[in-house]
Amino acid sequence: MTTPQNPPAKRLKREEYRRELQAQQESTDDGSVIKMPQKKFFRQRAHANPFSDHRLEYPISPAHMDWSSHYPAFVDPDPTKTNLSGARKLTKDVEVVDIGCGFGGLMVGLAPLLPDTLMVGMEIRTSVLEYLSSRIHALRSQQQRLKNRAETSTEPQPEGEGAPVNDDDVGTTKIYPGNFENITAIRSNTMKFLPNFFAHHQLSKIFICFPDPHFKARKHKARIVSESLNTEYAYVLRPGGLLYTITDVEEYHHWVLRHFLHQPEEQREDGTIPDSSKDLFERLSDEELEADPCVRVMKYETEESKKVTRNNGKKFVAVFRRKADPEWST
Amino acid sequence: MVGLQHPFQRLRYVNRQSAGLSDILVATAGRNLFSLDVSSGQRLDVWPQPIVEAPTGETSGATPASEGQGPPEKRRKLSSPAADEKDAEQEKKPAPEAKSMDSKKQDTNAWTNIPLLAVAQSKYVIIMTAEDKCVRVLSLADNGKLQELSSRIMPKKLSGLTLTPDESTILVGDKFGDVYAFPLIPSENYVRSQPQAKAYEPSATNLTVHTKRNLESLEQQMKQAALAKANPEERVALNFEHQLIIGHVSLMTGLISVSRPADSTVGPRNYILTADRDEHIRVSRGVPQAHVIEQFCFGHTSFVGSLCVPSWEPKVLISGGGDNYLLVWNWLENQILQKVQLPESETDITVSGIWDISFSPAAGDAASVQTIFVALEGSTQLLCYSLENGNSLALKQTLELCGNVLDLTAIDSKGSIVVSVDTLRQPNSTTAWKSMSQPPLETFRVSAGKWAPIEDSMVLQINGEGTSGVPEGLEQKKQTELNDAVYGLAKLRKRDGSDD
Repeated sequence: MTTPQNPPAKRLKREEYRRELQAQQESTDDGSVIKMPQKKFFRQRAHANPFSDHRLEYPISPAHMDWSSHYPAFVDPDPTKTNLSGARKLTKDVEVVDIGCGFGGLMVGLAPLLPDTLMVGMEIRTSVLEYLSSRIHALRSQQQRLKNRAETSTEPQPEGEGAPVNDDDVGTTKIYPGNFENITAIRSNTMKFLPNFFAHHQLSKIFICFPDPHFKARKHKARIVSESLNTEYAYVLRPGGLLYTITDVEEYHHWVLRHFLHQPEEQREDGTIPDSSKDLFERLSDEELEADPCVRVMKYETEESKKVTRNNGKKFVAVFRRKADPEWST
Repeated sequence: MVGLQHPFQRLRYVNRQSAGLSDILVATAGRNLFSLDVSSGQRLDVWPQPIVEAPTGETSGATPASEGQGPPEKRRKLSSPAADEKDAEQEKKPAPEAKSMDSKKQDTNAWTNIPLLAVAQSKYVIIMTAEDKCVRVLSLADNGKLQELSSRIMPKKLSGLTLTPDESTILVGDKFGDVYAFPLIPSENYVRSQPQAKAYEPSATNLTVHTKRNLESLEQQMKQAALAKANPEERVALNFEHQLIIGHVSLMTGLISVSRPADSTVGPRNYILTADRDEHIRVSRGVPQAHVIEQFCFGHTSFVGSLCVPSWEPKVLISGGGDNYLLVWNWLENQILQKVQLPESETDITVSGIWDISFSPAAGDAASVQTIFVALEGSTQLLCYSLENGNSLALKQTLELCGNVLDLTAIDSKGSIVVSVDTLRQPNSTTAWKSMSQPPLETFRVSAGKWAPIEDSMVLQINGEGTSGVPEGLEQKKQTELNDAVYGLAKLRKRDGSDD
C-alpha cells in the first residue's frame, strides 16, 4: 500500500531490493548462496477490507484456474490435457488451503510433511503475498542447487527431516522431501471467491491461523469464521476433511466454537435444535489433535505463533471434521 | 391525466378464481401500493390511506402524504414504533429527524418508493418500503382492501423478496448478502428480546496487542466498556422471529425459490437460488437446510441481477445482469446450455428483468403460450424468447414500448400481459425527465403466434386514473434520488478501483 506519508525513498528502496532479489534468484549456479527475501521490505498493515473489490484476479470457475505456473513439477506431461481456460492440467488437485497465510510459515512448515499434497496459501495483502512467492521461489531454487550438487558430488548430501528450520536469512541447507514444489501462494479474498478456486468437496484440509480478530462488534461481519462462511467451507471441504483454527484471542476462540458447534441455548422448547451449518461439523478430541503433526506445525511454526510465544501469549486450537451432508428433508 | 406521475415500479397479478373472487392487480408506485380490479381497472384501494389525522392503531401505519403532494423527504434512519416509545421514555439521541416522531403515528417521510412486492396465498401482499428497510405484510380482503398486518425492520436494505414454495415463509436477501427467513404471519408466542444492557468487554488483552498505539486504544475500549454499562445500547432491527439462512460476502442481487418436481430417482425438492455482485449464482437447499450448498453456477463476468426458472421447465435457469449476454443453465449441474448474445448496444447493457409467462390453451387458441420476456435497464425494448427443446432460447420478437420497461405480469384470466413503463423519464434514458407523464401501463396478447398490443378497458381505466403524482419543478437532487430508486442496477458494475 502506498500512503502519502511513505517517503518515496522507502518505496524506491523496496523496489530496488525486490529487483535485485529476483535477479539473484534467477541467476545460474555461480557458487553463491541464494538469499531468502527479507520481511522488512514486504511489511504491510495487518488488515484489509474484505468487502471492497480490490483489484483481484480470480478464475471464472475452478475449471478455469491455471495452476500450472504454480506447480511446475506437477504439470501433467500430456500437453493435450487442458482445462477450460486452455491451461495445462496437473497430475493431481490442490487439496490444502491456508486462508490468510501471511508470510507463509505454515505452508513452508507443512511442505515436507505432506510432500505429495498440493497446498496453497491465500492472502489478500499484495506485499505479503509477494514476499511469500519470493520465499517459495528461493526455497525451490536452493533445493534445485542442492540436488544438482548431490548429483555431481560423490559426498553424501545432508537430508532434512521434518519441518525445516524457518531461518529467514539462510533458508534451507538440506534437501527436503517435495523440495517445496508442492506449495504456492495466491492473492485472493477467500470470503468472496473461495468457490471460484475449489470445486465441491475438493479440499481435505483448511487452515485458519491467527485470523484478524476484528475486535469491534461492528466489524464482526468481517470475521473469517461465521455461520454463512462455514457453509462455504463445508462446500469445498470433503466429508472427513478437517478445518483447523488457532487464535491467541480467547474471545475469538469462543466465537469459533460458537459458530461451529451447537450451543445449549439453541434448544427449542420441544427439545429440537434448529438446522444450521453447525450440523456439518464436529470437533476433534484432544487426543486426535495430539496425534496430528499439522497441529504442531500450526502451533509452533507460523510467524504469528512464534510472535505469540515470544510475547508469552496463549494459543487456542480447535479443529473440526466435516460431516457428511444430512439427508434431504422434505 | 395531468402533470408528472410515478410509474408502477412493481406489478403482481393475484389470481383468485379458485376462491370464487374477482382477480386483482397489485402495483406499487411512488410510496403507494394500489389494488386494482382486473376486470374493470377500478381502483379498489390505496395504501397507505391519505389521512390528515392519525388516530389509527400502531401497526396500521398510515398518514401518508396526500396524493399529488409529491415525494417526501428522503430519510434513511428510522426506528420502529416500539423504539420510538423507548426514545420518548429515555429522551436520548437528540437526532434532528426525531422532532416529528410520535409513537402513535408513522412518519410520512418514512419511504419514497416500494421496490419489492410479492403475493402469498392470494390474500397477502408483502412489500418492502425502501428507506426504512421495512418488510410489511398486508392483507388483501375479498373487496380488494389493503390492511397492514405487520411490519418488520431489517438491518440492511433488501434486494430480494420471495416466499418458500408453500407460501408460508418469507425469504429476503439484503445488500449485505444475507438471506433471512421468517414466517409470513408472525407467531403469537415469539417473545421480543428486550435490548439487554449487556456489558461490553473488549476481546483484546495486553497479551494480544503490543504496540503503544494499540495499547492506548485498548485502554480507551476499557473505558468505553465501563461507560456502556451505564448507557445500554438498543437496536431495533430484526426484533422478531427470524433465521439467517444464507450469507454471501457480497451484495445480493437475486433471490428465487424453486421447487423441482419428483423424478425417477428423487422426490420433490426445494432449492433457493441466490446471485451476487461478484458474478456468483449459488444453489442451496430449501428451508430448513439452506446451509447446505449444492452447487455454484459459474459463467458470468459481471454481476448477476436476474434469475428465472421457467415454471414449465424447472431444470432450466436463465440468468442475466451486467453481461451483454444471458446464460441458460442446467442449474443443478453447473452446466451452461447456451450463451445468448443480447442485441448490440453502444452503451453497457444491463438486464433488469427476466419473466417466464405461460398460459394454458385458452378458448379459441389452439396452442398454449410459453414466453420468456427480457427487459434491459433504461430501454423501451421488451425481448420475447421461446425456450426450445428445454435448453435454448430463440429470440422471436422484440416489442417496442412507449417508455422504458419496468415490470410485467401475466393476467391469466385474459391470457395477456400487462407491462409497466416509465412515466417520468424519456424513452431510453434513465435520467432525462419528461415534462408530461405518459400512461403507466401497456398490454399485449398473443395473436397468430405473435405478441401484439391490445385495447383493454382495465388498462384504459387505470391509465386514466393515473398513479401518484410528482410535483413539477422538482430539484435536481430529488430527481436523481427518484432515478436511482428505479434504475439502480447499472451502478453495480465494477469499476477499476484503487488497490489496497
